[in-house]
Amino acid sequence: MTDATSQGAARPRTSLTAADKRTQRRNAAEKRFRLYGLAAIGAGMFFLVVLLSSIIGNGIGAFQQTFIEVPVYLDPAKLDKNGNRDPAEMAKVSTFGYNPLIQDSLYQLVQDKGIATEYEDGGDMKALISASAAAQLRDRVLANPDLVGETVEFEILAASRVDGYLKDRVTRDSITEDKNIDAGHLDLVDALLEDGTVHKSFNLAFITGSDASESRPEQAGLGVSMLGSLFMMLVVLFLALPIGVAASIYLEEFAPQNKFTDFIEVNISNLAAVPSIVFGILGLAAFIQFAHLPQSAPLVGGLTLTLMTLPTIVISTRASLKAVPPSIRDAALGVGASKMQSVFHHVLPLAMPGILTGTIIGLAQALGETAPLLLIGMVGYIATNYPDGIISGFMSPNSAMPAQIYEWAKRADPAYYERAWGGIIILLVFLLVMNVIAIVLRRKFERRW
Amino acid sequence: MYDAPLRKTDVEANEIKISAKDVQVYYGENHAIKDVSVELQDKTVTAFIGPSGCGKSTFLRCLNRMNDTIDICRVEGLISLDGEDIYDKRVDPVQLRAKVGMVFQKPNPFPKSIYDNVAYGPRIHGLAKTKADLDEIVEKALRRGAIWNEVKDRLHAPGTGLSGGQQQRLCIARAVATEPEVLLMDEPCSALDPIATAQVEELIDELRTNYSVVIVTHSMQQAARVSQKTAFFHLGHLVEYGETSQIFTNPVDSRTESYITGRIG
Repeated sequence: MTDATSQGAARPRTSLTAADKRTQRRNAAEKRFRLYGLAAIGAGMFFLVVLLSSIIGNGIGAFQQTFIEVPVYLDPAKLDKNGNRDPAEMAKVSTFGYNPLIQDSLYQLVQDKGIATEYEDGGDMKALISASAAAQLRDRVLANPDLVGETVEFEILAASRVDGYLKDRVTRDSITEDKNIDAGHLDLVDALLEDGTVHKSFNLAFITGSDASESRPEQAGLGVSMLGSLFMMLVVLFLALPIGVAASIYLEEFAPQNKFTDFIEVNISNLAAVPSIVFGILGLAAFIQFAHLPQSAPLVGGLTLTLMTLPTIVISTRASLKAVPPSIRDAALGVGASKMQSVFHHVLPLAMPGILTGTIIGLAQALGETAPLLLIGMVGYIATNYPDGIISGFMSPNSAMPAQIYEWAKRADPAYYERAWGGIIILLVFLLVMNVIAIVLRRKFERRW
Repeated sequence: MYDAPLRKTDVEANEIKISAKDVQVYYGENHAIKDVSVELQDKTVTAFIGPSGCGKSTFLRCLNRMNDTIDICRVEGLISLDGEDIYDKRVDPVQLRAKVGMVFQKPNPFPKSIYDNVAYGPRIHGLAKTKADLDEIVEKALRRGAIWNEVKDRLHAPGTGLSGGQQQRLCIARAVATEPEVLLMDEPCSALDPIATAQVEELIDELRTNYSVVIVTHSMQQAARVSQKTAFFHLGHLVEYGETSQIFTNPVDSRTESYITGRIG
C-alpha cells in the first residue's frame, strides 16, 4: 500500500481540464492524419467529377443526331420501270438510283420554301445529306413496295459536317479548307434550321446500329458490337463460373495440403496479375492457330477472356469459402453429412454472395478488356452486319464494345471522336448496371451466422 | 467442497460401448495423446476433465473421427464401437458420425430455420418417408432437447435468432434427431450462462436413459453433477478413470488430487 503511493508520487499532479504537452502532440497528430485522409478522399472525388463530367460533356453529343425532314417523291419511272411492284426486280435499282431522288426532293423543298440559294440543282446540295441516306430509303422502299409513286415524309440523316455545325464542332472558319462543304451550304442549313426542317433528335441508331465506314460517322452505332460483347460474356459466364467455382471448391475443401497444391495456388495468384495481352496471344495461338476457330469470332474472344477471368473468380470464390466459419462444417459433419453434403448444403450457400460478387466483377473486367481482342482480330473489324442467329452470333466475325470504341478513337474524322466518348458512356452504364446487380445479389443472399 | 450431491449410481451392469486401447494421436510432430486406454459404458455419462491442452477434446474428436478433417492429425491404436474398429479401412466416417453424434463448444446452428436445423440430419440419412414422419421426428428431437415449448410457435424462424442457451439446446436436438447411439459433447456449456447451463445439464441427465454420453468440461462441479464416470487427462495421458464419486472424493493418483483441489491446471 505504501509502496504504491510512493510510486504514484513520481508522476506530477496534473489537471484533467488542461491537456498536457504529450496529449496535445498526440491530438495534433490525430487531427493531421484525419486531414490527410479528408484531402485524399477530396482529391479522389475531384478527379472522379472531372472524369465523369469530361466523359459526359464529350460524349453526350453522340446521342443526338441531325436529321433533315424531306418529303421524297418515289418516282415509279425510276424505281420500278415495269410497274409490277415486284421487290426482286426493284432490288436491281441500286442506291445510285435513289440518290438523285433525295437530292432533287431537297432542292424542291428549298425552292418551295423560297429560300434564296446559289445552288442550281439537287446535286449541289448533296453535301448536306449523309451518304447512307439513299441506302436507308432503298431499304424502306424494298420492305414496302407499295410506297412507290407516293410522296413520303423521310427523315434523312444529315451529313456529319452538318451535324458538326449544329454541335459547334464545325465552324465557318474550320471549313475554309474543307472540300466537302461550303459556306453556302451552312447558310442553307441556317435557313432550314429556322423552320425545323433541319433538327436534332435522339439518336437511337447510335445505341442499336452498326458500325459504318470511315467517311460516314453519322451512321455509326454500337449495337452490333454490343451483341458481340453479349455473346462473349455468355461464353465467359458459362465457362468461367462453373470451372472457377469447381476448381476453388476442390482446392479449398477437398485437396490435400501439399507442395503440389501450394504450387497451383501460387500460380493462380500469379495468373491474376498476368497482363491481359499475354492472354490475347495465348488465345491466338491456342484457339485460332491450333484449334482453327474463326478469327474475330465472339466465341474465341469469350474463350480468351475466360482464361483471363478464371483466376479472378477462383481467388474471390476461395476467399468467400474461407470466410465461412469452420463451425458450420463441423456441425454438418457432426450430424453425419458427407464432405460433399456439408459443402453443397451449407458452405456453398453461405459463400454464394461472395462468389456472385466476384463473378460479376470478373465479368465487368472482361467486358471492358480490349488488349486481348487486338490479337484475335476483334479490333479493326468493321461490324456492319447483325449476326443472323445464335450460332453465327458466336461464330461469325464481330467486334466488341471496347474494341469498337478503340477503333472509333483511332479514326481521323472528329465526328468519330465524339462517338468514342459516347461509346464510353454506354460501356460505363453497362459496368454500373453490373455492379448494381452484384450489390443487389449480395444483399439478397447475405445471411448471418 | 462440492455442493452438488455425488451420484452413486450403479453403472457396473452397463455394457461397454466404446473401447480405446493404446491410442496415440499426433499433430504433425506433436504427440498430443499418449497411450490412452479406456472403456466407456453404454447409458452412462462419462466426463473428461483436465487442464487446457491436456488432450481431452482431441481424444473426444477421435471417437467419431472428426480429426480426419485435420490433415496433419494421425491416430494410432485401437478404438472400437460395439467391438468394431472405427479406424478400419472399410469404415465410412460418415456412417460412424451418424451413430456417434456431436455437440460443439460454441453453439453452431445452421443459418436456416429451426425446423430445417433439426430436420437436416434425418433428411440426409433418409429417416423420414413422409413430411408427417419428419414433423414427428423434429418434434420428438426438440422435446428431447428441452426446447420444444420455446420454439414450437416459430419453427420456421431462423435458428441463429435464438439466445445462446436455446441455440445450444437446438444443437443438441439436432444431434439427437439422427438417433445416434453415442453423444459426444465438447464443453457444451462454456458459452452459456448459469441458467442455460442448468437446463443443458438436466437435459444431459435425461439423455443418459437412451444414449451413452461423453462430455468434456472445464467445470469440475459440472462433471460431478452430471457424470457417473470421470476420466482425468493430464499432458496427453489418461491419469485416472473411475466412478465420479470416487474420483472426486478419493482419487488414487496425486495429480488428480492436485487438480481437483485446484493446485494444478
